[in-house]
Amino acid sequence: MATDTRVILICSGKGGVGKTTLTANLGISLARQGLTTAVLDADFGLRNLDLLLGLENRIVYTAQEVLEEECRLDQALVKHKQESNLSLLPAGNPRMLDWLKPDDMKRIVDMLIKEQFNYVLIDCPAGVEDGFKNAMAASQEAIVVTNPEVSAVRDADRVIGLLNTNSIKPVRLVLNRVRPKMMANQEMLSIDDVTDILALPLLGLVLEDEQVIVSTNRGEPLTLNRVNSPAAKCYLNIAKRLQGEDIPLIDPAEEISGFGAKFRRLMQTKIF
Amino acid sequence: MNSNNQKIIINIDHCNYPNWKIDLKNKLKTLKSNNLEIDAKNIDLSCKSISEIIAIANQYDCKIIGFCSSSAKTIVSSQSLGYKSQFIIESFSKNTSEISKKNLTFSKTHFHQGTVRSGEYLESSGDLLILGDVNPGAKVSAEGNIIIWGKLLGIAHAGSKGNSKATISALQLSPVQLRIAQKVARGPKEKPQLGLAEQARIDSEEIIISQL
Repeated sequence: MATDTRVILICSGKGGVGKTTLTANLGISLARQGLTTAVLDADFGLRNLDLLLGLENRIVYTAQEVLEEECRLDQALVKHKQESNLSLLPAGNPRMLDWLKPDDMKRIVDMLIKEQFNYVLIDCPAGVEDGFKNAMAASQEAIVVTNPEVSAVRDADRVIGLLNTNSIKPVRLVLNRVRPKMMANQEMLSIDDVTDILALPLLGLVLEDEQVIVSTNRGEPLTLNRVNSPAAKCYLNIAKRLQGEDIPLIDPAEEISGFGAKFRRLMQTKIF
Repeated sequence: MNSNNQKIIINIDHCNYPNWKIDLKNKLKTLKSNNLEIDAKNIDLSCKSISEIIAIANQYDCKIIGFCSSSAKTIVSSQSLGYKSQFIIESFSKNTSEISKKNLTFSKTHFHQGTVRSGEYLESSGDLLILGDVNPGAKVSAEGNIIIWGKLLGIAHAGSKGNSKATISALQLSPVQLRIAQKVARGPKEKPQLGLAEQARIDSEEIIISQL
């Protein structure tokens, strides 16, 4: 029986808002639910996804060699060490930037669909130029990542417009790097401010978490090591919502770290 | 006059427009209902006229719950007074698939349904009616008037070919910049009061914003 592969583009417009981190963690989270997942690094000019997944030293071939028939697809697909359901496919070599065309992207994704993956996550480069257009060419749905900042929201808005004109839907929103304290003090755009402008369904919030930096540097996504970190929980919830589970969004106001919150967290920990 | 489930629709016909108040009173005499919807057809009703209608209805113990009309002005007015409003596109309602397309010219009025997003640019050689928000970074321009049934947060240019009588109306007018004919104005610093439609026009060589 053929599986319906969901091809999801993860994009943002602005750089540095957390596309690659989301792709890596979502990939791991989905794989842990038993879903075969391929993450395709379409940001091959500045490729980072392999670093985040700790797979840099295992890459031998890229999709470029597959398309030129120098190797088979299964040779280019890098299986994750711990999560065998997750595979990484780098789209190209950082030294050869111009080779990829939208049609090439479609061919790569078609091959991945033939491999019967449950999910194909495409990590899109920043910007709205050729790299974005290539990455968009083969996608069915999209997740737009943004931060609660005016510039990130503006760029996300632009990207959503482009996704709409290319009839990619559904487009869903992930609000990354939410700082509950700043939100409560109204120093940061509120969730309503962002959703008012972007007018998209919110797939999830991700809380600001220093652990993200640590995990990036180690090449071990947060969701992999069952770290009890706030961001890891957010990523797991996003993966579950993507699967259609109805999990309520977190309320940033309740996440403000202080005595009350710590006490609540302590109460929730199962000591007995 | 149509009976529609519990909702009663009163048509204000264009033909007896000058006498519509008397007409309305006659119609209201015969019924006492809490579920009246007024169909204003293509008549332009200001906030003032709508308030008058409501006052008349109150005299006859009737309660109006909403308005429908093919006039954008009427819709914007009734919306701003807090009534449920339904926009009816006359005789084009069959082509719903076409209406959802981005730029569609109906005689002199351009319709756009949906959010105008950052980087998008909408232009019209007549009036421009947008059912949706105009986001920051987006620009809309028309040779005639611009009416936005939503928030204006981007840039709007009415009377782009020099018509200084052109106006810009929106349910929430907090643009980055407003342009009418050759005049340019920065948007107001403070947020406007919610639920009150506003209109920008040129008055003695300056762009001013007033409540509709």
